[in-house]
Amino acid sequence: MFNRRLYRYLDWPLVAAVYALCVIGVLMIYSTTGDATRAATARLFLVQIYAILIGTAAFVICLSVDYRSLADRAHVLYMLALGTLLYVLVFGVARGGGRRWIVLPLFNLQPSEFVKLALALLLARLFASNVQKNPTTANLVIGGLLTGVPLLLIMIQPDLGTALTLVPVLIGIAYVGGMRLRVAGVLLALTIVAAPAVWTYALKDYQKARVVTFLDPWRDPRGKGYQQIQAQITVGAGGLWGQGFRKGTQGQLNFLPVAHNDFIFSVLAEEHGFVGVLSVLGLYLFIVVRSLDTARHAKDRLGTYLVVGVLSSFTFQVLYNISMSAGLAIVKGIPLPLMSYGGSSMIATLAGFGLVLNVRMRRFTN
Amino acid sequence: MLTGTADGRRRTAVRLTVFSVVVSVCFAALGISFWYIQVLHNQMYREMAEANTERRLPLRAPRGILFDRKLRVLVENRDAYVISILREHSGNLDRTMRLLADATGVPESQVRETVARHMSTPRYQPIVVIEDASLAQVSAVLARRLDFELPGVFVQRVPTRRYPSGGLGAHLLGYVSEISEAQMASDRLQSGSMVGQSGIEKAYNKLLMGTDGERRVMVNNVGREITALAELPATEGHRIQLTIDYDLQQAAEDAFRVSGYSGAAVVLDPRNGEILALTSVPSYDPNLFAAGIDPATWKRLSTDQLRPLQNRAIQGRYSPGSTFKVVVATAALEEGIITPDFKVTCLGGATFFNRFFQCNSKGGHGTLDLRHAIERSCNVYFYTIGNMVGIDKIHKWAEILGLSGKTGIDLPNEAESLVPSSAWKKANTGQRWYSGETISVAIGQGQVSVTPLALALTYATVANGGARFTPRLVRAVNDGSGWKTPADVNAGVIPRLKPETVAVLHDALSLVVNGAGTGGGARLIGYEVAGKTGTAQVISLQGAKQAAGRTDVDLRDHGWFAFFAPKDNPEVAGVVFAEHALHGANAAPLVRHIIETYFASKEGRPLPVLAPPPPPAVKAAAAPAAGQDRPH
Repeated sequence: MFNRRLYRYLDWPLVAAVYALCVIGVLMIYSTTGDATRAATARLFLVQIYAILIGTAAFVICLSVDYRSLADRAHVLYMLALGTLLYVLVFGVARGGGRRWIVLPLFNLQPSEFVKLALALLLARLFASNVQKNPTTANLVIGGLLTGVPLLLIMIQPDLGTALTLVPVLIGIAYVGGMRLRVAGVLLALTIVAAPAVWTYALKDYQKARVVTFLDPWRDPRGKGYQQIQAQITVGAGGLWGQGFRKGTQGQLNFLPVAHNDFIFSVLAEEHGFVGVLSVLGLYLFIVVRSLDTARHAKDRLGTYLVVGVLSSFTFQVLYNISMSAGLAIVKGIPLPLMSYGGSSMIATLAGFGLVLNVRMRRFTN
Repeated sequence: MLTGTADGRRRTAVRLTVFSVVVSVCFAALGISFWYIQVLHNQMYREMAEANTERRLPLRAPRGILFDRKLRVLVENRDAYVISILREHSGNLDRTMRLLADATGVPESQVRETVARHMSTPRYQPIVVIEDASLAQVSAVLARRLDFELPGVFVQRVPTRRYPSGGLGAHLLGYVSEISEAQMASDRLQSGSMVGQSGIEKAYNKLLMGTDGERRVMVNNVGREITALAELPATEGHRIQLTIDYDLQQAAEDAFRVSGYSGAAVVLDPRNGEILALTSVPSYDPNLFAAGIDPATWKRLSTDQLRPLQNRAIQGRYSPGSTFKVVVATAALEEGIITPDFKVTCLGGATFFNRFFQCNSKGGHGTLDLRHAIERSCNVYFYTIGNMVGIDKIHKWAEILGLSGKTGIDLPNEAESLVPSSAWKKANTGQRWYSGETISVAIGQGQVSVTPLALALTYATVANGGARFTPRLVRAVNDGSGWKTPADVNAGVIPRLKPETVAVLHDALSLVVNGAGTGGGARLIGYEVAGKTGTAQVISLQGAKQAAGRTDVDLRDHGWFAFFAPKDNPEVAGVVFAEHALHGANAAPLVRHIIETYFASKEGRPLPVLAPPPPPAVKAAAAPAAGQDRPH
């Protein structure tokens, strides 16, 4: 199953970049929560370290098992993922208006994070196996169904943010897998045409309010616009060099709600300024570009698509979260991969990079 | 290494490249956005972050202390706790108000009403919800703040006014309360400031207020103070030394208290116009206002029929009665219309313009010269000379002596005294003056109405030989660099009366007290007190009959006693106005106590103590019947 010789092909720079972000994330979480006076959150950075350790185990497992054999069992993993989603809907822990978690000793597991991986494996296999017949449109329909089922289940939780992160998996794989631009155009047109109907019938009032608030957060600066405004102030106050580790007033004085979670990047921006922002953006870009290189040099289409699937969701989350941190996107519960506080996200992301490195390592094997 | 057809491989490679480019462009766009926010607009966001985390708490400046002329404290400051809401940090204001009311026991409606009243105050300025909070209220709030239950609510220790002698000199000193919207607009002061609303507190508010300081603290998102950043201390207001003599003020108020009368007294130094005592009875305790008056007390005070909030000394206007005869006498002498020896025969009344006017002595005073006419307060004498002088000259001399218009005292809301003239009547009624009207005016009735202060000033002017000073209450001001005397508003005032006039008036007024006049009650052995009684008719004889339902006391006339002493070199002058005292003679004992206190204080003797209240001066009811002797 696992060949020691394969270590020679392990992409150490990518590993280093991934873990560098993990360390920065822990430091940022420590900065916003590590204060003993904040008893409720004082030890979250320790939990994050445990999550990284568990994630590393998942990373090693995903690295060790040949991705092709994993893809062979993709449908099983997919069904398992759907099962956990159903389980959560029935037995999950309800908190903050959603039913998303399974209680575990160290942290609560959020199954929706792992659905992305199962979906990436399944879609990669679908697009890789049907390539000779080239029915990308058919693949798109089947892929749409495979994506739509978990997406709906996650939306029921409700967790629109995580649900949205499934879509890039399909779009990424379909695009790289040969989806005609004409089809993409039709889909885009359909989206535009459907938008008013979605706005009228699908979106709940609070979701509409979020959109309106995003466009003009100062309509309700202490209410719905609060997070967006505070996030932007936090980022802006950082300046070129930042205010220093644990010296940012916005983050330290709790003006930014759940800073350790969705707004970790704002805290980084406040404390380490534009220089810190550029450094971290650089690390993320390096990871993306390096992974795309892996996709380009994968041994087979399955590998390419798998990397693209994992990477699409990852990239989407990174771009969305960072945009949100600067007040450029609607505030949604989308964590920043590798940095935000959250065990499930960390484990799933590390496992995802295990798959990416798996593909790269095995590019010379048969 | 892509598998599949070459075409497929190329296509995948292209798409991966496009993917790379798109993502790179997105990252670049983000980088530029952050550059825009963090570097280009850093200053703006930094200020916004500071506005978030910095709270500027005003430090209320202690008001200047008020002293009497011997530097005894009349008004000082004490520390009080106020509980405020800072809406900017309160989050859910509705909940905060509810919890605050709950914690402090203040009715929720009251909290809401206070906050609603200040909705136009900027959100970053605290709204004082509870003034002078009790320790229990303070601890209740602090305990909940630690629990983060009351974001945006905080407790401050502030200096608050204290009037150590309670109601003593309340009308003179005035009171402070929170600034009104109108005052905010006109004085450019901040919401929540305590400002003078009457008396000296109002007149000298700007000097007394000082400069508020500021405390900058860092707060977290629930408004909890994390650390102090800087403090700009408040500067105490100027200290003011008043011309008031505490002993004399006390004596005047004691005299009213013991006599049971309502009324007013004004005592001044005829040599320079300095007010030595000024009181209005009934009074109120300005301490009630110092930390915000409760609505029930305010209602009680403002609707009390005895009008304790009215400063009768400067706002009440009454007929001066016979005290006015001094003005008519002055006019007649100064205009050369009569000499002091001019005589009139009084038979108990006289007819002018076909109407009979009665004297205060039914049997008549016989033949009198001016001195004795004043001593006996003979109406017929003054009807006669008043008619000879004419209304316009009476008006002219009333103005010269300080009895017409405002005196110009440095207190707010002084009422104008009125001594009519033909021009005044024309302007106000469109009618000409009838000579018959002058007859009533000549004895201080008719349309003459004056404030106690104006009458006091008139007697001070007569006492000093005709120098009409502007009454003033401030002797010196200390802005922290020592006492400084304000520019003397009375510099350059010269006496305008002829010495003969002064001598006659002084003699006559001395006779009122020390001779056969009605002022015997003010006589003081060893000091030649001069003065004049007066009666202000409360209601006409006809009106009395219609006044069914009024109490006897309500229908009694008011009593005046205007005075100065010693006769030959007056140091003290003034007036006592006793409501419903029936006649001026009943006001004389009050004057005696005041003058006795003045000299005792001056000479370092023990101050006189008033005997327990005498039995009611008048047992009989009501208005005098026609023809009855009316002491003047």
